[in-house]
Amino acid sequence: MANEAVPNNPILQDKATIKEAIKRHKKEVYTPVVPEQQFGFIHNNVDCIGCRACEIACKDKNGLPPGPRFRRVMYVEGGTYPAVYAYKVNMSCNHCAEPACLPTCPTGAIYKRKQDGIVDIDSSLCIGCRRCEAACPFGAPQFIPEQNIVSKCNMCVDEIDAGRKPYCVMACMMRVLDIGPIDKLREGNYATKAMAPHEKDKLVRQVKSMADPELTNPSIVFVAHSQGHVDKPKEPQ
Amino acid sequence: MNGQDWKDKLKASLKMDRRSFLKTTALGSAAIAAGGLTVKPKEAKAFAYEPYPRDDELTTVVTSCAHNCGSRHMLVAHKKGDVIVRLSTDDGRYQQGGAFGKDTFEEPQVRACLRGRSYRSRLYSQERLLYPMVRTGARGEGKFKRASWDAALDHVAGKMEELKSKYGPTALLDQSYAGASYGVLHKSDQIEGLLGRFLGMYGCRTSSWSVPSYEGTKFSSRITFGTIQDGNEDDAFAHSKLIIMWGWNPAYTFHGGNTFYYMRLAKQQGCKFVLVDPQYTDSASAYDAWWIPIRPNTDAAMMAGMAHHIFANNWHDQNFINKFVQGMDAGTMPDWAKDKENFKDYILGKYDNTPKSPEWAAEICGVSADDIKKLAQMYATTKPAALKASWAPGRNAYGEQYNRMAAALQAMTGNIGVLGGCAEGIGKAWHAEGVAYPYDEFANVFYASIKSDRWAHTVLNYPNVKREEIGLWPGGRAGDGVIPNIRGIFWQGSDWFNQLTNINKEIQAINKLDLVVCNDSTITPSGLFADVLLPVATHFERHDVALPWYKGHYYIHRPKVIEPLGESKTDLQIYTELAYRLGGADFGRRYNPKANRDYFMYNDAVDEAFLREWWENKVMHHQHVTMPWEEFKKYGIYKFKLDRPHVAFQDNVEKGVPWETPSGKIEIFSGQLAQYDDWTKTAYGHEIPAIPKWIVPFEYLGDKEKTAKHPFHLISPHPRHRTHSIFNNIGWLRETYEQEVTINASDAKKLGIKTGDTVEVFNDRGRVVVPAYVTERCMPGVLVLYEGAWIDLDENGIDRAGNPDMLTLDEPSPAGSFAYNTVLCGIQKTDLAHKPGWDRLATARSHVFRRDL
Repeated sequence: MANEAVPNNPILQDKATIKEAIKRHKKEVYTPVVPEQQFGFIHNNVDCIGCRACEIACKDKNGLPPGPRFRRVMYVEGGTYPAVYAYKVNMSCNHCAEPACLPTCPTGAIYKRKQDGIVDIDSSLCIGCRRCEAACPFGAPQFIPEQNIVSKCNMCVDEIDAGRKPYCVMACMMRVLDIGPIDKLREGNYATKAMAPHEKDKLVRQVKSMADPELTNPSIVFVAHSQGHVDKPKEPQ
Repeated sequence: MNGQDWKDKLKASLKMDRRSFLKTTALGSAAIAAGGLTVKPKEAKAFAYEPYPRDDELTTVVTSCAHNCGSRHMLVAHKKGDVIVRLSTDDGRYQQGGAFGKDTFEEPQVRACLRGRSYRSRLYSQERLLYPMVRTGARGEGKFKRASWDAALDHVAGKMEELKSKYGPTALLDQSYAGASYGVLHKSDQIEGLLGRFLGMYGCRTSSWSVPSYEGTKFSSRITFGTIQDGNEDDAFAHSKLIIMWGWNPAYTFHGGNTFYYMRLAKQQGCKFVLVDPQYTDSASAYDAWWIPIRPNTDAAMMAGMAHHIFANNWHDQNFINKFVQGMDAGTMPDWAKDKENFKDYILGKYDNTPKSPEWAAEICGVSADDIKKLAQMYATTKPAALKASWAPGRNAYGEQYNRMAAALQAMTGNIGVLGGCAEGIGKAWHAEGVAYPYDEFANVFYASIKSDRWAHTVLNYPNVKREEIGLWPGGRAGDGVIPNIRGIFWQGSDWFNQLTNINKEIQAINKLDLVVCNDSTITPSGLFADVLLPVATHFERHDVALPWYKGHYYIHRPKVIEPLGESKTDLQIYTELAYRLGGADFGRRYNPKANRDYFMYNDAVDEAFLREWWENKVMHHQHVTMPWEEFKKYGIYKFKLDRPHVAFQDNVEKGVPWETPSGKIEIFSGQLAQYDDWTKTAYGHEIPAIPKWIVPFEYLGDKEKTAKHPFHLISPHPRHRTHSIFNNIGWLRETYEQEVTINASDAKKLGIKTGDTVEVFNDRGRVVVPAYVTERCMPGVLVLYEGAWIDLDENGIDRAGNPDMLTLDEPSPAGSFAYNTVLCGIQKTDLAHKPGWDRLATARSHVFRRDL
């Protein structure tokens, strides 16, 4: 009885009211930025050797202590001896088209750049409440205890503005990580060493164990491992 | 300073007098008086979080990494004043004709690995040694007091004189190694380093001849091909159709220029990969390799099985064998040795009635006969195919036999001297001009020379030591067969105490010594056992030129980026000054002919002169480089463009140039080894067969008796997050990779071990405590513990950091290869303390993202 969807159930009425309020609130305080061009990442899950030079380059660039990791190379392995497999998923901030972090910020510190869609946090406005950290489905915002703020990848905007590429991309010894306009990357029409020409049909928006891209529309594309496809998992022979 | 002065000064600095102060206040009060709320808050104006300052606002200096990994990659220092703010790497801009993003097949960018990228935190680390220190506590206790350079050097010089006069010219052991190496001027090395020349010229030096990394491989390359330059340049790998990575993990070692990247290009061209290794490494996954797990230390047996299958099916290249190989079969034996064993008849079992068939091999190495046959067929029928026989399986008892067996396979399939093939071995390729300091008749003077990991045995048993026990090199200056009376050790660019075998034995031995001197930029575990610590300037703080030792054809200029931290000096400054103290101006000038005694304070002009001379005489003259020194300094890197890919022995095969062996051929049957009659008089001490053979190792999984007590075989490969022991103290790297023991999931289940559990790994030689990593990617019966962790002993001598050399055997193979990977041990859960050596709480996040098991 209690679980039935009765229109006058006060709990459901409350829920509907809250939903309505959130919608109204979002509309009032946040007009999504539609960038002139959205930059995003491409990563080859198979050819990546997982060396994490990108992570260390990022640490050095951003002056981070051990702890917060703007870029994270995740190791995935499976199978049963001796039929095993392994691949890497490399992610920092996905500079989402609809960033979940942005509307959660109570001080308006998070913003999206008009020219390239880069999502960044204004550290002078951040109060370290860590709401964005909880909101992000990909674990991008990183709390820095020493400074009591949250910070994250900003695709090295200073390098982008200088006409170069971010430190992680320029660090990649295997050339499996790159940036570019995300729509071109998704179509496989952007010249990049991250992908061999025949890997065009392996490009995916989502790999296994990754949050649903429908949540925020992340600007990242992967060359996936056969075991990393979300739709067709199969054990190796 | 009286009170009024102080106030004036403050006022001046604030540029504020009473009048303007009042004005400000008045303005403030007016605003408040008008009603605080009417003051509009400033509009929040978002700006990018930008690391301040930007690269373009900093001084850019091209330099390189300097640790001993065989590669050499560019680092670009971005500095403000005398502080390095951050490092980047090659982006194509710093070469002749360069531009941002230039990254071609012929001139690829030389991008630094994670270790190189972490250099800034090593440079400014807490473990940085800044002042001369003299020991006050017991050896290993870590108690030191700061000393002046004068006092420290006087102490060292005084002790040297005392030991030399009391114990003779073998009293000082040179344990220089490659930790501060790969500059052409400031070079640490076993054979051709600054320390060796200093002690040799001083007249008191016992040297260490076997190389920990690859002595078995070196022996094989020398015996078989007559040279250690049996390698192709890294771009040659892009032309292979099949690459067999035998114990080779370039995803961890980054061994040579852009090897791993060219292998990716090979994969894109359809090259197939195979990995023969007890572990499914990241190289296997990145190159999508067929993984053949093999029992450690049985590689030569599997290769013999492959050779058998190739001979049995007539897949060998008889033409190549007849033309270029000695002793592959009866027809290619030299006339004087027709009655000796040849390789083919050994494989077919003519001498011992044991054909080395795939079935025979399968019993030993744990690989099925079908897989051995399949691999043999692949290798023999795919052209060109690269069998890359790496160093690691050679770091074993009889490891030299593995490498010689690999050379036999390479030769019988004709994969030598062809683009896309491989004759490695050592794999040293393009020859760089490596020495800018005075290189003369004193460069490698030794009064005695021993196998490097027999020093503790020598010290503990002197004088009751036989020459064959310690691999005494014939004909030392102290007299042939004279056992060295070692009373002191010098370390330069070396953490050997932590890195050689059987550390517990070393601890006993070091306490018998009278002098231990350590030159280093970092306080290492070895340093804690030293009497005197001398602070050495890092490569950011001295002028040099870097070169890749292994593969890659380029030079990188390495200027003095910042002034030396603390009171650190270069090794060359230290030895020059010691030479003056020991032998006056005569010794001083002979040791460093370009310098006066004030070199200890002012070294820039002399170093520049050495380097310029090297560039002009050697690089420009010998290597036909036209770029002047000044221009090279301006660019930062010189990349050679080769006329054709550098392939070892191409001229031998195409133009009939003889090999550098006594017979001029590839010696599968070694005439030299066949002719020794008294092995005790050789450096090897024990017999080595003239052809490659499978020899049962000291201990391995096939040993029923020993495995009853210690059922696991431990291997200790190179980690990714350290170069040997270098970088062990770097927080950035420690949070991404943990020192842990890898164990197969089914083994772990039987022992009740889960990932993250603290376990003890032990045998009769020592005990270590580490966390476990449980995985399906490791062969059952095998444990993996990466070398190079800094020992951290508890009161019972148990290592809480997890250094595998607490467990290794200090009994080298006859040819000198260290038996690092010949270790049986046990493993169990424990309550003993593990000390990871850094703040685990601060870095705990790394675990979340690691593995899905």
